[in-house]
Amino acid sequence: MILKTFFKESKELLRDGRVRAAFAIVIILLGIAVWISARQYQNTNEQYLVAEAAEREVWDNQGEKNPHSASHYGTYAFKPKYPLSLMDQGVDKYMGASIFLESHKRNEAQFSAAADQTGLARFGDLTPDFILLFIIPLLIILLGYNSFTKEREMGTLTLLKSQGVRPWKWAVGKWLSLFFPIFMVTAILFLIAGILLSNLQDFGVFKWGSLLAMFIVYVGYYIIFINIILFISAKVEKSGIALVLSLSVWILACLAAPKAASNLAETKHPFPTRQEFAANISKDKQEGLNGHNPWSKESKLLEQKVLAEHGVDSIHQLPFNFDGYRMQKGEEHEAEIYFKHYNYLKEQYAQQSDVYKGLAVISPYLPTRFLSMAIAQTDYGTHWDFSDAAEEYRIATQKFLNDDFAQNSTYGDWSYQADSDFWKKLPQFEYEPPQLGSIIRSNASSIWILGVWIVLSFSIFLLTTKTI
Amino acid sequence: MFRYNFIYELKLLLRSRWIQLLSILLLLLFGFSTINGKSKVVKREVDISVAKQEVEETDKAMLKLLDSVEQGLEVSVPSWTIPSSPMAVGNYHPRVAAMDPQPMAFISTGQADLFTHYIKPTVSGDDFALNFTEMTSPVQLLFGSFDLAFVIVYLLPLLIIAFTYNVLSSEKEQGSLRLLASQPISLRKWVFQKLMLRFFWLSLLVTLSLVVVILVAGVQPLQWSGILILLGLALCYMLFWFALAFLVNIFVDSSAKNAVSLIMLWVVFVLLMPSVLNQVGNTLYPIPSRTLMINEMREHKAEATKRQDEILDNFLRDHPEYAINDSTQSRNFYHRYMASQKVVKEELKPIVDAYETQLQKQQSWAQKLQWISPTIVVQESLSQLAGTSTADYGNYRKQVMAFAGQWRAYLTTFLYNNTPFSQKDYLSLPQFNYQAAKSNSVFTSMLVLLLIAILLIGFGFAVQGKTQQKGILSN
Amino acid sequence: MIITNNLTKQFGDFTAVDNLSLSVKEGEILCLLGANGAGKSTTINMLLGFLKPTSGAATINGLDVVKNELKTKEFITYIPENLMLYPTLTAIENLDYFSGIAGKKLSTETLIGFLREAGLQEDAFQKRISTFSKGMRQKVGIALALAKDTKVLLLDEPTSGLDPKASNEFGELLQKLKNKGVAVLMATHDLFRAKEVATHIGIMKNGKLRQQFVAEDISLPQLEKAYLDTMNHLEVMS
Repeated sequence: MILKTFFKESKELLRDGRVRAAFAIVIILLGIAVWISARQYQNTNEQYLVAEAAEREVWDNQGEKNPHSASHYGTYAFKPKYPLSLMDQGVDKYMGASIFLESHKRNEAQFSAAADQTGLARFGDLTPDFILLFIIPLLIILLGYNSFTKEREMGTLTLLKSQGVRPWKWAVGKWLSLFFPIFMVTAILFLIAGILLSNLQDFGVFKWGSLLAMFIVYVGYYIIFINIILFISAKVEKSGIALVLSLSVWILACLAAPKAASNLAETKHPFPTRQEFAANISKDKQEGLNGHNPWSKESKLLEQKVLAEHGVDSIHQLPFNFDGYRMQKGEEHEAEIYFKHYNYLKEQYAQQSDVYKGLAVISPYLPTRFLSMAIAQTDYGTHWDFSDAAEEYRIATQKFLNDDFAQNSTYGDWSYQADSDFWKKLPQFEYEPPQLGSIIRSNASSIWILGVWIVLSFSIFLLTTKTI
Repeated sequence: MFRYNFIYELKLLLRSRWIQLLSILLLLLFGFSTINGKSKVVKREVDISVAKQEVEETDKAMLKLLDSVEQGLEVSVPSWTIPSSPMAVGNYHPRVAAMDPQPMAFISTGQADLFTHYIKPTVSGDDFALNFTEMTSPVQLLFGSFDLAFVIVYLLPLLIIAFTYNVLSSEKEQGSLRLLASQPISLRKWVFQKLMLRFFWLSLLVTLSLVVVILVAGVQPLQWSGILILLGLALCYMLFWFALAFLVNIFVDSSAKNAVSLIMLWVVFVLLMPSVLNQVGNTLYPIPSRTLMINEMREHKAEATKRQDEILDNFLRDHPEYAINDSTQSRNFYHRYMASQKVVKEELKPIVDAYETQLQKQQSWAQKLQWISPTIVVQESLSQLAGTSTADYGNYRKQVMAFAGQWRAYLTTFLYNNTPFSQKDYLSLPQFNYQAAKSNSVFTSMLVLLLIAILLIGFGFAVQGKTQQKGILSN
Repeated sequence: MIITNNLTKQFGDFTAVDNLSLSVKEGEILCLLGANGAGKSTTINMLLGFLKPTSGAATINGLDVVKNELKTKEFITYIPENLMLYPTLTAIENLDYFSGIAGKKLSTETLIGFLREAGLQEDAFQKRISTFSKGMRQKVGIALALAKDTKVLLLDEPTSGLDPKASNEFGELLQKLKNKGVAVLMATHDLFRAKEVATHIGIMKNGKLRQQFVAEDISLPQLEKAYLDTMNHLEVMS
């Protein structure tokens, strides 16, 4: 019975010209999207490699220079693109890809692509994630909205009922016939993406496991949509009304809820403005130790403490350059201030995330969106991770430079210059993005929400078909 | 026929509860989006006024300090922050260069969530380092805002589709079409009249609910012209969708097919076209790589810093007035720094300019492309009306840059003349006043929308539709 | 007055109406009998301009139905097999709307008069059509014919699905209209009702008018025999 219904429905779909056209359009769009994304991905990564090498060269060839001058001159950390960004660009467009690392200051990533583009870019890009998240659910609606209503309208429902059909078997058959083509389209897309990515071996480490995880998330998302659309079709009398209702669900879940969520999140847990943020930091900085200000109260305190520790009574007698030492202490103090303020941002964002999760009750789009971005390593979390790693590297670099200054010069000797070979000793910035396991652990709640959606929607759908 | 259609269309709409449903929906959508927009504008205003107040307070402290210094008293602040030094004023007492919201700012978030609305340029540091982007969670940028523009551009067409997809096909499906067609009337005209009547009623509802919402939310007096333009745009855009609905009604037949066709059109115009055009723009005129630009700038900067002393000498040779006016001829860090900054800026200019021109090309291309899709036209026009479009922020950026130059120039004159900054100079400090760009492309947009709608309707009348052939009337 | 002259309609290779020539004068009722697909409905559709004739011509009150499509429709009232009206409007409102768009501005009293004349019971005038039976809806249709002061009435299977009483009432209404000088063309399968109401009877097969009688000249059994003979007749022998 299940199989019979499945074959009958599949045949009906296959014979419908509109269905064939819709599939063709979706597949063409997907093809274009994957092609464009792959090109951009390659471009960006080539630029990344060039920039990283060039920056290192500039750093290595500074010549003889005071280490602290070098720290002001600074260096850049560049964020690479990860293989799965081919599938989901996430928030990459809205985040800068380069962080300037200098002394005394933690900078944010600069130059987001969105800031350089026109308002047109805010509509969204033709990328695989756009099609996976928006267009395929729409395709599900077009294929499924009249699955049950057409039987009522053509009058075949009465005939079917008089055959003593078990409703749930019949319903599962219909469900399968809708699921199968969607599953195939998605599977083919992911397979092509996987093959493409495994052939681009120069860039990043591509893992089939992550791609599979992403595939499962999307299949789950489609299962939820199929359940909802078929539920509506089974409940409603007319095809037209079923179509309008299904579309309303789509608009609510995919368009309205995310936007409303973003508004709610912002009102409830706002980020400070850039100027406020900077002002708060400089206020905190003024109260603490400033490496450039030997006359401040904090400097004097530090001086006394160090003198006592070493049992000497003049900073000239210390075995190292106190200027360098103070610089390093000031640096550490400032790093703590930045840590505190950036943590505040993270906390705000964590609370915003809770708002998004709350609204996931009306929108399966939200958990899917977050999971997909996280697995693709294009979400805000990964960006934080990168920015934290860059900060760690910045602190280490400052210590490397200040220590050299402190060890190799005497107090008051600002004319000290490090060798031109010295710069090459600074380790390279290496960044490892979080692995799939830890991504899944930190996004467990989204997975749960998605799971609950799947189970609930499927049981409700099966229960209603009992009473058709 | 018109009189009867007019009376009975209203009766039918009331009895099928369409009018009631639409009124509630419109009030809810407009209400929610206006509240969102207003709260953003209020936050923006508060942020700016807090920043200005802070400057006022520190200014008071600065004047007090200046007073003490001028009276020759000892002051208890670090020496380099004493405001008699022009560079101290320039760095520690910057002005707020704010972009005040336009009266209609609440209708469209536009780029407002992406860019900052006030900046305090200082004399040191380069313009290039001024960060104009706002600190916003990128997730929020990704999802966008539930603003009035979203309701008008995305949701209103969907309401129109639900409201119009079956004007003719429902007659066929409920069986009254044959009787109707046997009357001495042209069916196309009849469909047209029905749709125009629905357009009329929807326009009325949109206007009323928008006015109610705006009144409740509170308007400033001079805002009415803006609201009229907003309504004009919304109505022209609605007419465009009604024209599409007209075509679909006369060319397609069953209700379900009509609905699917209109939804397809919606997907094409609202979702696909903007993203495809954006993608095409990026492919044809790729955004130049910021990463590579950074590389280039770094190399130039490294050169310039090495030559700071030499640069100062050159600078003074070029500006003999400073050498003459200044009796002390004392030169310190800032003299060298400011001179080298200037040189660095000039040396980097070609790189920045090259980047900006390429960006400009990309953006102007995107600007031209917008005319292909009425959706983009409306979104852009609403943002312009709200003063939150890309162009507005570009304009603001330019003004801030100019102001930063002015600020630097004003204070460096003191620096090179080695004259202290005094209380009497306070009043002549440059002030920033944002001048919003006047743009009348909103009217062009309305005209273009009207023209497209008329062309579509004309096409519907000129070309033989299915109603005229077999199919819809004979079984 | 309806006249068709060698009226022909082809759908591809299939000829639905084949050189049909007939005329219905004022005060005449022509009933067209025939199996499904005989071309009765196609003929009516051509008279209404819903279908364009492949060749030949038809006139209503002397006006060509193709050249003066809208003008001829002013004289016509058409009642399709299953007459449907706007379910959320009342009988009076439906009548007002349809006569209104046909160009007749009439007061509510006049409209009530027509509904009464069409035999609709008083308490139904203000009721929504969604509660009406087919017979009641047809009475509204007849009232529309009266309101439009119609010259030509085209009926497509008007009595199918009506109970005998309603069918009988409908026949009486047709007589009334006939007496007013309306030319009626009615396509039907109902031999009995045709014999009852018609002044003339035609039998169609494969798009051709095979036989024509004056109703008074023929009894019901004779009519039935003639009908069956025509249906069973082989094509080559005709």
